[in-house]
Amino acid sequence: MKVYPISLLGHKDHGKSTLIGSLLMQTGAATQARIQEAEQYSKKLHKDFEPAFILDSFAEERTGEMTIDTTRAEITYKGLAFALIDVPGHEELIKNMISGASYGEIAILLVSAKGGEGIQPQTKRHLYIARMLGIDTLIVAVNKMDLIDYDQEKFEEIRHDLSSFIEKIGFERSKVHFVPISAYKGENLVKTCKSLDWYGEGTLLDVIYRSVKKEEKAVGGPLRIVAQGSIVSAGKSMVVGRVINGSIKKGERVCFLPSKIAAVVSDIVVNGKKVGRAFSGDNVALAFKNKINGETRGSVIYSGENKPSLKDSINARIFLAGKLGKDLKIKFNGIDVGCKGIKILRKIDPTTGDSSSAKNIKPLDAAEAEVTLIKNIPTEDYNITRELGRFVFYSGNKFLGIGIIER
Amino acid sequence: MIKQDLKSLEGKSIYIIREAKLKFKNVAALWSMGKDSTTMLALTRKAFLGKVPFPVIHIDNSIDFPETYKFRQDLAKKWGLNLIVARSEIKPDIIGSACCGKNKPETLKKVMKEYGFDALIVSIRRDEHGIRSKERYMSPRDEKFRWNFKDQPAELWDDYSSKLDEAGHVRVHPILDFNEIDIWNYIKKERVPVNPLYFSRDGYRYRSLGCTHCTTPIKSAAKNVDDIIKELSTTKTEERSGRSMDKENAYVMERLRQFGYM
Repeated sequence: MKVYPISLLGHKDHGKSTLIGSLLMQTGAATQARIQEAEQYSKKLHKDFEPAFILDSFAEERTGEMTIDTTRAEITYKGLAFALIDVPGHEELIKNMISGASYGEIAILLVSAKGGEGIQPQTKRHLYIARMLGIDTLIVAVNKMDLIDYDQEKFEEIRHDLSSFIEKIGFERSKVHFVPISAYKGENLVKTCKSLDWYGEGTLLDVIYRSVKKEEKAVGGPLRIVAQGSIVSAGKSMVVGRVINGSIKKGERVCFLPSKIAAVVSDIVVNGKKVGRAFSGDNVALAFKNKINGETRGSVIYSGENKPSLKDSINARIFLAGKLGKDLKIKFNGIDVGCKGIKILRKIDPTTGDSSSAKNIKPLDAAEAEVTLIKNIPTEDYNITRELGRFVFYSGNKFLGIGIIER
Repeated sequence: MIKQDLKSLEGKSIYIIREAKLKFKNVAALWSMGKDSTTMLALTRKAFLGKVPFPVIHIDNSIDFPETYKFRQDLAKKWGLNLIVARSEIKPDIIGSACCGKNKPETLKKVMKEYGFDALIVSIRRDEHGIRSKERYMSPRDEKFRWNFKDQPAELWDDYSSKLDEAGHVRVHPILDFNEIDIWNYIKKERVPVNPLYFSRDGYRYRSLGCTHCTTPIKSAAKNVDDIIKELSTTKTEERSGRSMDKENAYVMERLRQFGYM
């Protein structure tokens, strides 16, 4: 069965791991041994039972009461399966949050309704990053309702305060839902809760169930294959890679970028079997009638007139997780490409969505920038072909941030 | 236990195995002859059109089951595996997790150094253990095999980690996404050969296989792959319930992995 990946977002201590722990227990996905183990350790640390311990497995995560790294756990509901991706909420662990959230198709944002907690800068930063990562469906779980006497007014206040920001950064109103819950008490997650009967839209899982895109992505559009490289099998060289858009047929004439080498497909192998045609999502091995000279890793294969553009200067929206330093490079479809410079066009504050003309940015800032590279790469607008419109920044071995190519 | 879509699991594994081979200079895989690492080899054969194009290492402490040794011999021959048997000495005074935590990693360190491997494919799965669920698909280790779990590399958009330094290596986890039941469904679909110890004899079978010292069988009547799939669809016990080291202390797995346990 298809498993829908869902990223959890939100400020630390607003209940991400607790929510997943409770969902695992209430849907019967957690084994007795895992629950018992979490129970034992809650006791050992002189705490009431902590559902988050089902997820937070490192000793330091438990004693420090915070998630350090991302993990995932699966649940099923009404015949659908969801992989819940937990991420750390702490600012310093934004790299791990980005790693986890990048696998989500939709997101659940946790906002604590408890007095003094509420909407935090990190709440909004997570939302901004999620939108950059391409998440377009959002469920805002207003948590800890039990601590504010299930107060509808407070819930509406949070909905009101967050809605304008959510729309400002590009979410569509129809794809955003607010749900009141108590993750710790397990209320309105799987079963409805009497104290929340003023809320008429169902439980959190009902809302998730209604929000996932049940229809499959349409097959079609122009061919794009990102090549991982070449392998040799029985003395014959084959190019391996993933079809990210369109389809490829035996006998078809295709072209490689950036090399511009044209070639005719003589054989297609998908998951070990020879096929006449391969489709979007398939991992292929391709043999060609003519020899493909040079490095194929990071190449894009296309056919026909519709092709990616070769560029050594790209306009991108970037988010910085670290300090811009020396030996700057981007990682793009398996290859490292040196960066000559990054010119900041506009600085964006991810916690407000406002932009300003500042020329310098620091960690946790976003920006519109012009990135100049040492060589041409085949790119497309992120909204057209995601895989060709996104990259990761590094300074030497240090992760610096992410970029989205926008025309 | 959730049954996932085998085609997408297979595709992702093939992608990662190819990535390991193409990204690194000198790759090897660990093979324990268990169901997971044998499935990984079956996936590798699909990724490389019928061949396993890198050496497979068995860390052999000489106390594996006789069935396991026979399985090793038969499959290595059938699939033409380049098998490296690295002997690990059993010390009678080092038992349980200390044995897995010390003897085996020491042997692995030696063999990695001798052959100069810069990447090692390991068939762990996220659903096996809370600590394993925190792993990346590719995870760098330093010279001493340490796993710096507090500062793991970013991993997104098919951009996987590189080595930390010359002396270190990268662990590659191509079947991280598989659940236990997915492994058995894949074994069924692809007719992957399995060690006979997984099947019930006299009312008992091994659900997770280690060496003869640390593994105990579970009560089970499952005599074939179909029976196992049926059994797993309703079970409430943990897969590694027959592995003694997991029980010594809740954080023993964390320490084991930190210091290089597979």
